[in-house]
Amino acid sequence: MADATRYLGQGLLYALFFLPIVYFTHEPQHRHLAEDMAELKIAVRHAGVTIGECTDVQAGAYTPLPGNKQRPQICPRERSPLELELLMDGKPLYRASVSPSGLHDDGVASIYRRFTVPAGRHNLELRMNDNVAVEGYPWVLEQEVDLQPAQVMVASFKDGFRLQ
Amino acid sequence: MKTLLKKGFNQLDAVFSRVFTPAWNPMYQLGALGFFYFWIVAVTGVYLFIFFETSISGAYSSIEQITVGQWYLGGVMRSFHRYASAAMGVTVTLHLLREFAMDRYSGPRWFSWVSGVPLLWLLFASAIGGYWLVWDVQAQYIAVLTSEWFDWLPIMVDPMASNFLNEATLSDRFFSLLVFLHIGIPLALLLGMFIHIKRVTAARSNPAKGLAAGTLLAMLVVSLWRPALSQAPANLDMAVTEVGLDWIFLNPYPLINSWGPGQTWALLVGLSTALCLLPWLPSRRPKQSPVAVVYPPDCNGCGWCLADCPYEAISMKEHDYKPGHKQSVVDPDLCVSCGICAGACPSSSPFRHVDELTTGISIPGLHIKELLSLTETKLRELGTEAPRVLLYGCDHGSVVEGMASNTVATISMPCSALVPPAFVDYVLRQNLAEGVLISGCCEGDCYHRLGNTWMDQRFAMERMPVLRTRVPREQVRLRWLGAQGTSELGRELIAFQQELRENSAVVDPIRLQEASNG
Ligand code: HEM
Ligand code: SF4
Ligand code: SF4
Repeated sequence: MADATRYLGQGLLYALFFLPIVYFTHEPQHRHLAEDMAELKIAVRHAGVTIGECTDVQAGAYTPLPGNKQRPQICPRERSPLELELLMDGKPLYRASVSPSGLHDDGVASIYRRFTVPAGRHNLELRMNDNVAVEGYPWVLEQEVDLQPAQVMVASFKDGFRLQ
Repeated sequence: MKTLLKKGFNQLDAVFSRVFTPAWNPMYQLGALGFFYFWIVAVTGVYLFIFFETSISGAYSSIEQITVGQWYLGGVMRSFHRYASAAMGVTVTLHLLREFAMDRYSGPRWFSWVSGVPLLWLLFASAIGGYWLVWDVQAQYIAVLTSEWFDWLPIMVDPMASNFLNEATLSDRFFSLLVFLHIGIPLALLLGMFIHIKRVTAARSNPAKGLAAGTLLAMLVVSLWRPALSQAPANLDMAVTEVGLDWIFLNPYPLINSWGPGQTWALLVGLSTALCLLPWLPSRRPKQSPVAVVYPPDCNGCGWCLADCPYEAISMKEHDYKPGHKQSVVDPDLCVSCGICAGACPSSSPFRHVDELTTGISIPGLHIKELLSLTETKLRELGTEAPRVLLYGCDHGSVVEGMASNTVATISMPCSALVPPAFVDYVLRQNLAEGVLISGCCEGDCYHRLGNTWMDQRFAMERMPVLRTRVPREQVRLRWLGAQGTSELGRELIAFQQELRENSAVVDPIRLQEASNG
């Protein structure tokens, strides 16, 4: 093959190699979220109530520490799991029971979920129980929201639910 | 499927060899191209890093500044950084497919194969980290899905996704971590790449100069024509709706979203595990014949076999009984029974005055003495019509068996470099044939990696053992045309015979011999 033809051929093959690369580094566009949808995220990081009561140390009971360093009470460390429910327009969207972290179940419990929901007006209801000793849901939030398309609404928890 | 892939690669090889010449053929140096692209990405990355601002507000704008304000240098660097990464992704994928199709992944090659799999993960992780730093909508898409993907693993205590809930939860700290990862992972990749080729003798980690130059030039044209750009800036308060994706590296992401993180982990980890196990899966590949054996009486410790073994299977030790001498040792776990060592051993010479040819090292599957007796028998069976040609071939290259005739004797072996140059000398000196043609795999793409290179060098007297000066070069030919070049080899054979016929000096000795016989 003559040199000129060969270099021409090489140019052609380089083009065949790089053109798809240039194209596929950004095309075709990917539709991640339909046009009339929005996103709802729940992110809760919360330590449940400890299970059981503290008990007084009985006088004269064996303890490994000298008397002046003894604490007057022994407190349990284990915490309640979190029971969480999310209802949208009266229908349950999500229900979870999450154990606390830590070796002794004494840490915080974390929940994260992302939902794709239709944009528009919705009634959102969030309920959570963080204490096994109690029936029902000590923490509740019910709120009307108007979600714009592609809006991200985050439900978080700090001394009560919050929608942002 | 493998056969189909192999056919495809053979056809590509033929096209590329014509256009690029075998020496520049990119198909023969995909791994080396991978290294080359890595270096481009590394150098351009250092440049980009100088201008990059490690903060939420600074990341996007500093990259915009490089791209637009400095399009002639920074912009080109950025485009090189992106396109070289993508090219690396493509070449490495082709490299994997090719090693598979050409059956170069089992036996002692398992090490290169298995060590290649983590490289894929590191390569993808490097690329994904890079796109993340840009902090545009694609980065936002990556951030949310990657964290959800990792949060699925039970090791995550605090959800990583809570860093990317909305604009309020984003912190600069995360960016520092990202920058750290985007430097650390590529360094781990580089280390892995060196481990990957550690067991490969004379691994080719640099592509041919002409190919490197051509690639750079092509990349420059592409970078000026279609510079790498960012998409719209990230905004975590708005969900990503439609996004441009790098489909080369981000192809698992839509799966994470639609299938869920668990299934995607299962798929990718499952695929990687299957890849790692592939070298041990049963296949129709012929079983490996016994490994090379050293014969101490004929080993003088020259080390030529050690220099030529493409699999680092040979080492030297004290000679069994000759004090002060060395002796070669074969590691049976690394030897693939190619026989190249037998072709390298100076003792593999038919001129030696021994009753039965022995040699320092040889494979039991085709011992040098069998090669000699095969050569002699087959040539003696030929008619007296000149010119007679001895055609040596290999089991992975052009198929020589069908070319035997009453003037052509053919012998196929695991690798053509099993033929000691002294055999060629011997055949011509003994008037067993007028010509010797040695064929095999394509130039630059030997199944046993270096067989045809070593043969070229031995015949050019650049490598021991050399083909002696006294051997008339017009009666010897090396042709590396590969399996796909079988019919071309047939034509070359006819042309070779024609040339020999025209060269009366070559044919004359036979006539003389015939005359004296009768
Ligand atoms: C970053 C990615 C990679 C790079 C830069 C790379 C580079 C290389 C290089 C330079 C060689 C030596 C070639 C030679 O001189 O003969 C090689 C050999 C090899 N590679 Fe890779 N490689 C990569 C990934 C992979 C992957 C993913 C696989 C398959 C899973 C793989 C399988 C192999 C095999 C089986 C060999 C051995 C070939 C032989 O012994 O003949 N590589 N690679
Ligand atoms: S047969 Fe091949 S792999 Fe085995 S020791 Fe000889 S050269 Fe090395
Ligand atoms: S080439 Fe032959 S003589 Fe030299 S070290 Fe190897 S086996 Fe021994």
